[in-house]
Amino acid sequence: MSADPDEELVRRVGAGDPAAVQTLVARKLPRILSLAVRMLGDAAEAEDVAQETFVRIWRHASSWRRGNARFDSWIHRVTLNLCYDRLRRRRELVTDDLPDMVDPAPLPDAREEPRRIEQALQAIAPRQREAIILVYYQEMSNIEAAATLEISVDALESLLSRGRRALHMILARDGVHD
Amino acid sequence: MAEDIEDGPAMDVKRFAALAEAYGGDLRRWPQAERQAASAFASSETGQAISRKAATLDALLDRYSVPHPGRALHDTILRVADRHIVRRRRQRFWWLGLGLAGIGLAGAIAGLALVTVVTPEVPPDHYVLDANATAFGDAGPETIEEDL
Repeated sequence: MSADPDEELVRRVGAGDPAAVQTLVARKLPRILSLAVRMLGDAAEAEDVAQETFVRIWRHASSWRRGNARFDSWIHRVTLNLCYDRLRRRRELVTDDLPDMVDPAPLPDAREEPRRIEQALQAIAPRQREAIILVYYQEMSNIEAAATLEISVDALESLLSRGRRALHMILARDGVHD
Repeated sequence: MAEDIEDGPAMDVKRFAALAEAYGGDLRRWPQAERQAASAFASSETGQAISRKAATLDALLDRYSVPHPGRALHDTILRVADRHIVRRRRQRFWWLGLGLAGIGLAGAIAGLALVTVVTPEVPPDHYVLDANATAFGDAGPETIEEDL
């Protein structure tokens, strides 16, 4: 297993080093927030999740030991679990099947395109969404993403394929994609 | 994006299409062990067509960007971190104090025990009279030298 680039920083955070705390926040907050925003599709909720994730980091930093996962994978897992708690509360879990279109209105202009993509991402199954976000937006390798999701690489590829197919169909139906 | 198993399967249309469907058109997201074979295949006509199709969805996904964290969120997280650090320091001092107090108490007990064991028993200069004793000491018959 290769070295964890965050290990030393986490050790310093665990020892209560304020400079290490600042570095960790600067390094990880953008990643945690973008993951939560894309998982939840809600900026305010995503900020709450980011704060809760950091509270868990502060609580566990002094006792954190690298097991099978890197620190970055661990915080992604924590963030995803917190997102799932919120999704469960919203009762918005969808099935693996292609969901109903979120908004069938015609596309007003190009500025709406990112919004359509966000809606399409929210409309696919959460596990497929997780896989796409980790590999595509969080730029994790297939092995890191599979470890974070606690599944095999084959299962990850299956989630990615089904997720991308579902996105393609939704966006094509919305007129965003051919 | 990186690392994978050493030897990936041989690249053919089926595998190339499956990888493109999963990871998109950018080979940098593909499993590392299969990138080299995939790169060679991508230059073929079939490979180019598959990559182009996958890249259209990639381009759309690229357009969905999220804002960077605001200053307020950043500061709030640091404030909470400060509180945790201060609390942890206090806990450390508390445990340190408790530990020192424990050591001190254990030392005192050990010292007392040592003094009790080592110090020889000294007969008392005076003894306390109980109810059966008199101020005159032994109350037995007195022997008068003159009687002998």
